[in-house]
Amino acid sequence: MSSLTRAGGAAVTAATAAVIVAGSHVRMPEFVSPDAMVRVSWSARPERIEQCVRVSAEELERTPVHMRREMVCEGTTARYRLEVDRNGVLVDSVTVRGGGLRRDREVYVYREIFVPAAQTRIAVRFLRVDSSATADGPDSNVQQTRDSSGALAVRAVREQEERARRIAEAIPPVLTLDTVVTLASRAVILVTYDPLVRRLIVKTGTP
Amino acid sequence: MAAPQRPIERIAWRALSAADAACNRLYGWRGNPLYQSGTIVVALLVVLFVTGIWLLLFYRIGSPYESVARLTDMPIAGNWVRGLHRYATDATLVATLIHLLRMFAQGRSWGPRTLAWVSGVALLALIFICGWTGYVMVWDEFGQSLAREGARMLDTLPVLSEPVSRIFTGERPVSSAFFFVNLFAHVALPLGLAVGLWIHVSRIARTNLLPPRPLMWTVIGVLFAVSVVRPIGMEPAASAFRLPESVTSDLFYAFWLPASRAVPGSVALGAGLLAFAALAFVPRLTRRLADRPAPSSVNEEICVGCRQCAADCPYEAIEMIPRVSVRSDEVARVDPMKCVSCGICAGSCAPMGVGPTGRTGRDQLGAVRAFIAEPARRHGELVVVGCDRTAPELSRVVRDAGAVFYPVDCAGSLHTSVIELLVRSGSGGVMVLACPPRDCWNREGPRWLSERVYQDREAELQARVDRRRVRITHADSRDARGTDAAIAAFSADLARLDAATPDATLDIDAICEPIELEAKP
Repeated sequence: MSSLTRAGGAAVTAATAAVIVAGSHVRMPEFVSPDAMVRVSWSARPERIEQCVRVSAEELERTPVHMRREMVCEGTTARYRLEVDRNGVLVDSVTVRGGGLRRDREVYVYREIFVPAAQTRIAVRFLRVDSSATADGPDSNVQQTRDSSGALAVRAVREQEERARRIAEAIPPVLTLDTVVTLASRAVILVTYDPLVRRLIVKTGTP
Repeated sequence: MAAPQRPIERIAWRALSAADAACNRLYGWRGNPLYQSGTIVVALLVVLFVTGIWLLLFYRIGSPYESVARLTDMPIAGNWVRGLHRYATDATLVATLIHLLRMFAQGRSWGPRTLAWVSGVALLALIFICGWTGYVMVWDEFGQSLAREGARMLDTLPVLSEPVSRIFTGERPVSSAFFFVNLFAHVALPLGLAVGLWIHVSRIARTNLLPPRPLMWTVIGVLFAVSVVRPIGMEPAASAFRLPESVTSDLFYAFWLPASRAVPGSVALGAGLLAFAALAFVPRLTRRLADRPAPSSVNEEICVGCRQCAADCPYEAIEMIPRVSVRSDEVARVDPMKCVSCGICAGSCAPMGVGPTGRTGRDQLGAVRAFIAEPARRHGELVVVGCDRTAPELSRVVRDAGAVFYPVDCAGSLHTSVIELLVRSGSGGVMVLACPPRDCWNREGPRWLSERVYQDREAELQARVDRRRVRITHADSRDARGTDAAIAAFSADLARLDAATPDATLDIDAICEPIELEAKP
């Protein structure tokens, strides 16, 4: 193999390495538009819409002791309407409901809306569409357990407490946020739900 | 004859053979990296494994970016190793794609090779995902970009109740659990690669997993030199509250990002899956139906049970089974599901009892007898035996050099009796023009041929044949200059010998006759 061929081989090797290096460091466009982004994202437990039926004494008698419940509740979770306004103009709206196949998981809100970078008035509304009042039949919240005694009574109280806890934990039926923010180019503001204060808040990433 | 190439395979082959020829000129066929693309991938995977283990010692899932930044600040133990890991990742993908193109162009994608092809596509997907998770580990802007795009695709699947994209919204810092899962995938996938590789080569005998050492160390050395000369830096850290205008990306693993971002996640995911599915579907598209060459078969009346064909078969398609007749204890049996019809076994069977229909040793003898009997044949002429692959390009070169071209299916399947007949019938010399050993379409053809001619491997070239009149030369299909030089050199050597004369003792029609089988008592 001549020295010229060796030099050629070395040159091709170097060129191949250069191609790999160049290909490994390519500046690729990501967000070309100078717009900013309003990200609306949170998860929270939705309100449950239940229909509760009081079990008759005969049915209770037929049920094994460890499975006896005075009130049997079945239902689903409420739907919510999310609306986002920019400077008074609706820019995004969507109906969301609990996740999971049976819609009994938390409600997950995740929207990304591009808006021009400027001082902007952002209004976010999160409104419950369904409520216990719209469900057919008696509302579980107002059901009263009948007088009972013994283990059944203890269980009934516990179930009622559990329902009350779930209601308390559920996201409020109405959440609103109306704020003016200054959006820098390619900046992101996050509108999220703070479960501690039970309202929508804005995060900008700066401490 | 081997199955003809399809038009698209021919186009790919033309491009590849041109590149092969150029590399052969620059590096010689022993050092041609294109011939060794598959083994280079394995060598690079080993490099990735070793450097990956080292880098893992420094990585912290609780502070991924900061831990990689600390690593980057250490040039020798950190950044150079990181650079080698990174560039080896890119080179792995490039070598894999070359290997894939090579197999496609050579028509080695269908029939018994379907398993290797499909498992190879699965390996490509794994390599791709492995690279993807590796970049996410750094958690810079590029890593975040890949993670967000991957999450966007996953969110289109109806099995996840919570959008994966919510991990990166900025509600809270990205959890260590995410980086743990990502790290686990990055470490676990290579185990899948190992299993896939085992399946990939499972139908190959005498697997060579690593390239020749000079080539292997050259590749690794070049990548290491590159990592020193062009060290890997740190991009800005990922942030949920900043949209980068542009990101320094690895084109090899992120070429699809701009297109993907422009379409819904479901379309991007579907397109990606479709691309890999299409690749996996290639064997169906390239398979031969009517023109599929017949697999080898065994003539039990001739087979002496010597096991040579089973030993030589590059695809473990031949096994020895107990024989029911008295002739020998065993007889060869070809598994048609594994046989690629390469014909190597035809050259390995001394009594010529095995081979693809029409290409057995006996068929080869019939053809060479007809060739010898042609009126145009002259005593003392140089006969160049070349295979189907080289014939279109090099037969003209051979004729221009004053030699006679004698085409055969594959030099590796050439029975040595053909060479013997040519020499003893009065040819001045016989030069076998074989493909470079590392580029044999049938894997081990040139190696077996050489051992049969020079090292008494069955079916060996008989001692009565003057070896000075036989030469094996390796040339790629476009190596006209090398072929011409080899013919000239051989002609010069032959000129120093006595004039060739036909061997008076040669019985050109002599051949072992089949023996009728007798059942064992």
